[in-house]
Amino acid sequence: MRRTRIARATWPQPSNGPHRVACHFCDTLHEAPAVPEGTAARCRRCGVVLYQNRPASLVRTTAFSLASLVLIGITHSFPFLVMKSNGLQTELSLYRAAHELIREGSVVIGCGVGVFTTVAPLVMAVGLLYVNAPLLWGRAAPGARVVARWTAHTEPWNMTEVFLLGVLVSLMKLGSMAELVFGVGFWAFAGLMVCMAAAVAGIDRNELWDRLEVADE
Amino acid sequence: MSDHLPKAIDEGLAGCHSCGKVSPAALGRCPRCGSSLHTRKPASVQRTVAYLLGATALYIPANLLPVMTMTEWGDVMEPTILEGMVEFWRREAYPIALVIFVASIMIPLIKIVALGWLCAAATGRVKPSPRVLGRIYWLTELLGRWSMVDIFVVSILVALVQFGTVMTVSPRSGALAFAGVVVLTMFAATSFDPRLLWDQLDLGENSDTIPPQTESE
Repeated sequence: MRRTRIARATWPQPSNGPHRVACHFCDTLHEAPAVPEGTAARCRRCGVVLYQNRPASLVRTTAFSLASLVLIGITHSFPFLVMKSNGLQTELSLYRAAHELIREGSVVIGCGVGVFTTVAPLVMAVGLLYVNAPLLWGRAAPGARVVARWTAHTEPWNMTEVFLLGVLVSLMKLGSMAELVFGVGFWAFAGLMVCMAAAVAGIDRNELWDRLEVADE
Repeated sequence: MSDHLPKAIDEGLAGCHSCGKVSPAALGRCPRCGSSLHTRKPASVQRTVAYLLGATALYIPANLLPVMTMTEWGDVMEPTILEGMVEFWRREAYPIALVIFVASIMIPLIKIVALGWLCAAATGRVKPSPRVLGRIYWLTELLGRWSMVDIFVVSILVALVQFGTVMTVSPRSGALAFAGVVVLTMFAATSFDPRLLWDQLDLGENSDTIPPQTESE
């Protein structure tokens, strides 16, 4: 187990500290001192990570969520894949992937696909940007706490990486019967997957909520 | 065993699911982020079992019904998920066949069995090591989303393969059942409260003198 005696926080602390933390996995209660950047505090009983101090968390999350937002714009403006067969041509876009299902009568799956590939990434990118960017200047945007909570709830439903695997499998299925060309939308979406993962990996939950609390004091 | 670590519930405290702040559970809502506070998730085992039963029921049509209709020059094919995998295997695309087998057939089954076993452990019916349980829980949370890949393949094929009389693909009800399995197992994983596993462990340690009523080898 890693122990540290350095108790200097790298961000402003709310006045109602000192903090305690309950392990979300086994409910063991701990005192929660600040840990050095790049390290994590682990539960004494079950060993799961209680909290981490992630370096430059606000800047990273802001930068990558902004990049995600730009890439979402690009991926919706250009075709994903173009398929040519027997002189005919069709295009895949994220919108069409959901809309064609709805048009064919599979409303529920169509809406599901739309939520997992379009709505959830958009909510994540906008939400993270809305909460994190003003905090760079020590301010909390109106309703930032509600937005932060809902952004966290959205995370498991953002399935960009799974959709990319789906594209790969579809390519294998169609490769023999048609000519397929990757569009700009595909590369933007692959970039979106990376930026989204980086934005989420940048979040330091303790720092975020401490700063939100301090900003409102 | 003598090293007894304090638990949040013993002091009437609860760690917030969203922001991590430890507050008195009697408040009902987290004073920092407004999420509802529980010492344990309400009716966790009942809810998880209900979602699992739903997922198990849907697992059968999800594997027996075709997920799409492929029409090529008047030939109609209606592959189920398993047939789609076998087709890749037959064409010697082994890695992709393996990916589909793991994501679509293995993972939902593993999730249902594992969560069922966790529910049995949380109610004291089986007594495995908490470390093993921790790994299983972590795995079920991590893997669930990847099962969605086959739904995305259907959505991509439906959007791309629209060549009138030459070749078309349309969705079928198996896809809906399959999406249902994935979503229900995701809900099952989030409604399960892993802290119950540790409560059972503590219960076992405190009542060593009383042997359990049904002991089987």
